[in-house]
Amino acid sequence: MRDVYIIGVGMTPFGKFPEKSILELGREACWEAIEDANIPHLTIEAAYCGHARTGRLLGRECGVGQSILWELGISGIPISSVGNFCASGSTAFRDAWLAVASGLYDLVLAIGVEQLTARATKGKPLTSDGVELLTAMGFSPPTYFAQIAMRHMYDFGTTPEQLAMVAVKNRKNACYNPRAQYRKKVSIEEVLNAPVIVDPLTLLSCCPTGDGAAAAILTSKEMATKYSSKHITVAASVLRSGEYKQGREITSLDATIKAAQEAYERAGVGPEDIDVAEVHDCFTPAEILHYEDLGFCSKGEGGSFIAEGHSQIGGKVAVNTSGGLLAKGHPLGATGIAQIAEIVWQLREQAGERQVAGARIGLTHCAGGFQESLELAEVSSVTVNILKKR
Amino acid sequence: MVEEPEQSILIKEGLFTYPGSPGEGPRLLGNRCSGCQAYFFPKRYLCAKCHKNGTMEEVRLSNQGKLYTYCIVRVAPEGFTAPYALGYVDLPEGPRIFSAITGIELSDLQIGMELELVIEPVRKDLEGHDILGYKFRPTGGSSNA
Repeated sequence: MRDVYIIGVGMTPFGKFPEKSILELGREACWEAIEDANIPHLTIEAAYCGHARTGRLLGRECGVGQSILWELGISGIPISSVGNFCASGSTAFRDAWLAVASGLYDLVLAIGVEQLTARATKGKPLTSDGVELLTAMGFSPPTYFAQIAMRHMYDFGTTPEQLAMVAVKNRKNACYNPRAQYRKKVSIEEVLNAPVIVDPLTLLSCCPTGDGAAAAILTSKEMATKYSSKHITVAASVLRSGEYKQGREITSLDATIKAAQEAYERAGVGPEDIDVAEVHDCFTPAEILHYEDLGFCSKGEGGSFIAEGHSQIGGKVAVNTSGGLLAKGHPLGATGIAQIAEIVWQLREQAGERQVAGARIGLTHCAGGFQESLELAEVSSVTVNILKKR
Repeated sequence: MVEEPEQSILIKEGLFTYPGSPGEGPRLLGNRCSGCQAYFFPKRYLCAKCHKNGTMEEVRLSNQGKLYTYCIVRVAPEGFTAPYALGYVDLPEGPRIFSAITGIELSDLQIGMELELVIEPVRKDLEGHDILGYKFRPTGGSSNA
């Protein structure tokens, strides 16, 4: 397996743009990545396009990648669409990584895109894809994360204030991210007093729906040195699916633990080496869990970790400098690659006022989907990527 | 109010016995692997633990359990009326199962409480008919001690 480098990234602003088609969003992100990489765009050899819900919601199940690239005059090359729930974009990224690492291609484009505000069920909470029996019984993603929070509070004494701190931190970080969906600070009181969705989660504990796209260009060492002076190394790109195991606790995502262990091993680093991380904060308790499952702190210590400021910019590991899903937004398929873009900007020292000083090693983490099960629900996919400054 | 069995719409066939046998009440239907004794709910094709073929036997699971965690939904998705409680219930055989929790003041819910199985309407269909499913409520009836 060869080393793989990222030489260009692009990302549209995230927000509600019902008048922008999925193709326009995708095209915008791709073109920014192509210009950032400083490559002639007709040299791209393959493309992988991640999107989670387009088929069911907007009527085109397959071929989104082909359509986006058709608009850019790129065609004929191998293109496939990748679906893996909220981890669709990061799975597309991993497919692109694998395509270059294997030696099959030298220059590959990874796209992540989602258009949600044009959907027919606008205004109602987004139900989970493909868990029909659970949904028929009242399940939805916030109910699962609310139950995680209730048990985490019961087992470890985590408080509603500590959960709210996740939203406060990410909203504050997003103030410095021109592409973020919400760029206004909130206080702990505002988070706690917002309308309750599922106890103990309020409106401000939940990520929004929105539209957007992100793209990354991956290449081999020879091409990286030819085109770029600011390339970033992909030290690990790991995918796992949730594992059926009776007796496991709801207060951990086992797939995160295992994906992270594999990624650290492949990258030759430990959690203490990570300077900056983009993690899957779909709901505030999720980020608390990820601190523990990614090894940034021990089991049960996630609440203290944020309360003591360890995940702030300037702390032990700056988590979600982009604003995360909560404040930057979560157009499902776009998220995985938007996380990559943020880490690339951090490692290149291009993150402006949200720059983590001296960032050298970064991590991205995505989790998506649920397995249809009446036993304790398990996530369908988790990705962990580790990027290093050249 | 309980509808005549032939007019009842079940949320899914084969999840529970309904109506319950005289003197027994409803039971959840799962299976047990005759090879390694693992229990599953709902019934599976193959044992997820030992993967042996042809070992799955249908069993009636305990109708008692303990509340492992819960949440209270205040903004309901399509087809539901808030507030309502959902939770995971630990059955003595091993499965930790998803269920609506009923028959209790929402503010009285507590992790660890003892619960028993009931069959009740879970929601209504588009014609307004009740769809029956399983729920758990505090042991000893729907009122607080």
